[in-house]
Amino acid sequence: MSAVVESIDRIRLIAGNTFLEAVRQKFFNSLLLISIALLASSTFFQQFDFGTGELKFITDFGFGALFFFGSILSITATTQLFFNEIENRTALTMLAKPVYKLEFLAGKFLGAHMLMLCFTLVISIVLAGMLYWRETELMARLGDEFTEGRLIRYGDIFIFGFLQWLKFGVLAAITLFVASFSNTNLYTIVVSFFVLIICQLQYIARDAYSSMEAGVGSWLVKVLGLIFPNFQLFNVGEQLVFNVEQGLPTVTLLQITAYALVYTVAFILLGQVNFRRREI
Amino acid sequence: MQSPLSQHPLVLRLRRISVTCAVLLLLGVVLRPVESPAWTEVKAGQPELNLQAVEGALGQGLVLGVLGGFRTIMADFTWIRMNAVWQRRDRAKLDAMIRLVTTLDPRPEFFWVNSSRIVAYDVPHWRIDEEGGYDVVSEERQRDLDVEQAEQAFQLLARAREFHPDSPKLVLETGQIYLNRLKDIPNAAKWFLKAAEMPGAPYYAARIYADLLRQMDKSQEAYNYLKQLHQTLPDDPYAQKGIVLERIRNLEDDLKIPYLLRYNADQIAPVVNPSEQTYPFNEL
Repeated sequence: MSAVVESIDRIRLIAGNTFLEAVRQKFFNSLLLISIALLASSTFFQQFDFGTGELKFITDFGFGALFFFGSILSITATTQLFFNEIENRTALTMLAKPVYKLEFLAGKFLGAHMLMLCFTLVISIVLAGMLYWRETELMARLGDEFTEGRLIRYGDIFIFGFLQWLKFGVLAAITLFVASFSNTNLYTIVVSFFVLIICQLQYIARDAYSSMEAGVGSWLVKVLGLIFPNFQLFNVGEQLVFNVEQGLPTVTLLQITAYALVYTVAFILLGQVNFRRREI
Repeated sequence: MQSPLSQHPLVLRLRRISVTCAVLLLLGVVLRPVESPAWTEVKAGQPELNLQAVEGALGQGLVLGVLGGFRTIMADFTWIRMNAVWQRRDRAKLDAMIRLVTTLDPRPEFFWVNSSRIVAYDVPHWRIDEEGGYDVVSEERQRDLDVEQAEQAFQLLARAREFHPDSPKLVLETGQIYLNRLKDIPNAAKWFLKAAEMPGAPYYAARIYADLLRQMDKSQEAYNYLKQLHQTLPDDPYAQKGIVLERIRNLEDDLKIPYLLRYNADQIAPVVNPSEQTYPFNEL
């Protein structure tokens, strides 16, 4: 029992240090500032909109910024945090102590995941603030249109943020898995981005080939659909925030959460299998 | 004893890749009962994205759009870019961009309505110009081009109605193309009536329908329709009750209806059982 507690303690220490190192990175701060600036400028971009309501436009814009910058941050921060330890040889010192490689990987993952939690939380708060400000102004101007009170369900913004955070977790675990057998920073980032694109678009191929007769192409797509996680599953923005009549059922949220957690753990364990053999 | 081949780095690596793929495959199969119902639920609420649209999007450098982020703004900027293509009269690219914009963000009716107008009104004109102009191209050929382009516009509007089944604007647009481009009054009337019966339809849809009935020599039908319409219209300046009454009077003159049998605009509207009502304009 005490071995488990000690192991958790070691993971916590590695995660804490990784997180501190990550938040001090200029890359994280720059990306966070760019995201906030972009979100704040969404009212300017609204000039280019053709027919979507202002609040809906800002919400889409915010969710887009969260997905785009979050994905970049998740991949690059995880890669940097992993390879910094290898390149600076601090991993050697750490692993010379009674620290298992799995603990090292889990610590790195949790550190990166906490960083993503900060990012997601800040973006969600800024988005909620922007929407609250605009909605209040619109209510003052067009009071008659808001007979049933506020249109936006602010809690849903954070539910969406939570689901994105889970997705970033899977992405960070995939990145760690790639890093576990890769020798360079760049290779890890490029491969992880390709995996992200495949995961995000695999459902289209699945849909397109579902109507095909059983053949090599059809089987290949089915197999790929099973190997790569479906990231489009986390894209639930359409059903949250505004959709009062047909919101996302709680059971679906739980299913998505379970899906993300299982994949996260699986990719970390697969990463551990590769990392165990690796000479540092 | 292990053979040297089995210890070859390439074989080892292939084995590792195979094992990883097998584990992920197994995981995918195990998670399918969790993923499948959730995906059905999520997919129902998402604008559909097909392979064709993705190909188009990748060609336009809009990977971000199809990946789920910034779909709205990507569609908006693509629409702005499409205007440059429209100015150049590049038909092939225009078709691709219309498909791309409406796939990236099918929510604004603006994209559908204006795309169908370009396809139905502008493109036939360009094609006639390409073939030598209105003086050279025979009227029969002009008509064929109009029909061909109108069909494309109708397909676009039919797709639009899948996303906006309750939108009278899209139904009205189909009627407008039949009327203004194809001069097909019976079909136009059918669509105007359909639009007029929809909640939230503009008041003029019903007036145009009555006028089309008159143009089809169905003045009696138009008269009955307008009388019923006048009774159900609210006292809203936009409802133009005065104009409706004026048209009723014109039809009474045309139909030579005796003065005593003419429509009494001041009478209280008869109570109509909703199930028996032919034209439900209460919500207009």
